[in-house]
Amino acid sequence: MNAAPAITQAQLTGRHQADDQAPIRIAVKDLNFYYGSFHGLKSVNLNFHDRQVTALIGPSGCGKSTLLRTFNRIYSLYPEQRAEGEILLDGQNVLDSKVDLNELRSRIGMVFQKPTPFPMSIYDNVAFGLRLYEKLPKADLDVRVEESLRKAALWDEVKDKLKQSGMGLSGGQQQRLCIARTVAQRPEVILFDEPTSALDPISTGRIEELIEQLRSEFTIVIVTHNMQQAARISQFTAFMYLGELVEFGPTTRIFMNPEKRQTQDYITGRFG
Amino acid sequence: MAALTEQISLARTGSPARKKPGGLGDQLFRAASYASALLVLLFLAGILASIAYGGWPAFAEFGLGFITSSSWNIGQEQYGALVAIVGTLVSAVLALLIGVPISIGIAVYLTQLCPGWARKPVSMTIELLASVPSIIYGMWGLFIFAPLFAHYVQMPVSSVVEGMPIVGTLFYARVPSGVGILTAGIILAIMIVPFVASITRDMLDQIPTVLRESAYGIGCTTWEVVRHVLVPQASVSIIGAVMLGLGRALGETMAVTFVIGNANRLSGSIFDPGSTIASRIANEFNEADGLQLNSLMALGCILFIITFIVLIIARLLVRRVKVA
Repeated sequence: MNAAPAITQAQLTGRHQADDQAPIRIAVKDLNFYYGSFHGLKSVNLNFHDRQVTALIGPSGCGKSTLLRTFNRIYSLYPEQRAEGEILLDGQNVLDSKVDLNELRSRIGMVFQKPTPFPMSIYDNVAFGLRLYEKLPKADLDVRVEESLRKAALWDEVKDKLKQSGMGLSGGQQQRLCIARTVAQRPEVILFDEPTSALDPISTGRIEELIEQLRSEFTIVIVTHNMQQAARISQFTAFMYLGELVEFGPTTRIFMNPEKRQTQDYITGRFG
Repeated sequence: MAALTEQISLARTGSPARKKPGGLGDQLFRAASYASALLVLLFLAGILASIAYGGWPAFAEFGLGFITSSSWNIGQEQYGALVAIVGTLVSAVLALLIGVPISIGIAVYLTQLCPGWARKPVSMTIELLASVPSIIYGMWGLFIFAPLFAHYVQMPVSSVVEGMPIVGTLFYARVPSGVGILTAGIILAIMIVPFVASITRDMLDQIPTVLRESAYGIGCTTWEVVRHVLVPQASVSIIGAVMLGLGRALGETMAVTFVIGNANRLSGSIFDPGSTIASRIANEFNEADGLQLNSLMALGCILFIITFIVLIIARLLVRRVKVA
């Protein structure tokens, strides 16, 4: 073991520069999270910039997924989980009990660890979320479905079998279908919770390319246990450990010149 | 690493601690397991053959008329199964129409809406319902449910619908006694609910959490998640559960015999008494001989075939849903 960075300069070059002048889309202020009596997140403060990819990294159980799950309040499906503090989405606190959860979740899309196609046709998988919020005539719906599938780089593979079940696609295609479904709702933010952990390397590569393209339209937060992935696709990186935010900054700086000892140890593979 | 290699080589060079395969024990086990599997087939074939043999004189005497005729006259030795077949199918279908929505409702409540502390007790109660002997349902149905049903449902409904087209026939009780096809259907529904509900609950439980979360994650309400994602996802198993319930409803004897009224009459009203194959057999087996006994055997044969057809339809449905 040596202290050389696990991520080389070569892997970081060609990245788009982190734009810290970009407006702040999500501001997390003094966020605490509890699973029953377990204190899962401890006073987290963090800003997410518009149309940038922010990666959350850290060892298992550090709270990165927990943090992601507070943004669309998906944790509230479980009564024993609760969050305290503020998460401002365009200035509005999403933790406010008056927030319409269904509307919030149409503004903040989420893609999960495993592909989750719904038991319906490929077309309906994409149209399903649209139909919830917009009454569109069939022709417009067709256009939106095609547009979403194109954005998810899936259109060419499925255009001749839109009526077939989404369950029949390969794992990587299913995950892109889920991305198309999310994109179709035109959310402001897309959350990715380890989106490639169940996929083979080729599918993983395609999803990573896709995330890079989606950045031009959406603010993206991605949880990943794969540091190379974080280095490849993100502009900002947040390193978390034991429920605390240890260090946050442009990805290049976090990987090349981490300020904190723990960050240094993690990215060089000393623990995690 | 070195320790591991050592272990592996130890395992290889060590003296064989177990016998080679193919010894006497293995052969015995193989034979025993074959025999057990064959036994099931033998039983099934034997039962079917003996019932068919017993019922043959009735089929020979009446031909196809045994199925299409609605007369069951012991004095004149005229036997036809139509009333019993119709009663069996109608009461079972009514049981499904009433029982399946309730079962799915229970399963959805238990898996999606129920607070954690209430889950166990409610589940337990439903499973207890399954352990109630059918004679109890029959007695309760006849002595307690039927009079209430006659007084609070049959009489008022009959007086309202009297003279109306269709509903005036379907829901009109000439003699509001409380027993009849619909009563049997209701009692059967209560009996199949525990089965269908607990299977459906288990199936909904097995759906991966991420699928449920991703449905909520695009902004679905609980109803939309259940209606469009969870129930379709579990549909194959739910169909299986429903068919199991149907099988039970078709063959249920004791409870039905109590509450169906045991009349050999084809009526357009589901409030009127009727009979099912099982209730007819249970009622008459004691004193039957000659052609009557043959006819009862033939009835049994028909019930066998009906349940067999239901099983085949279930298989086909499940296969179709799986492919789609």
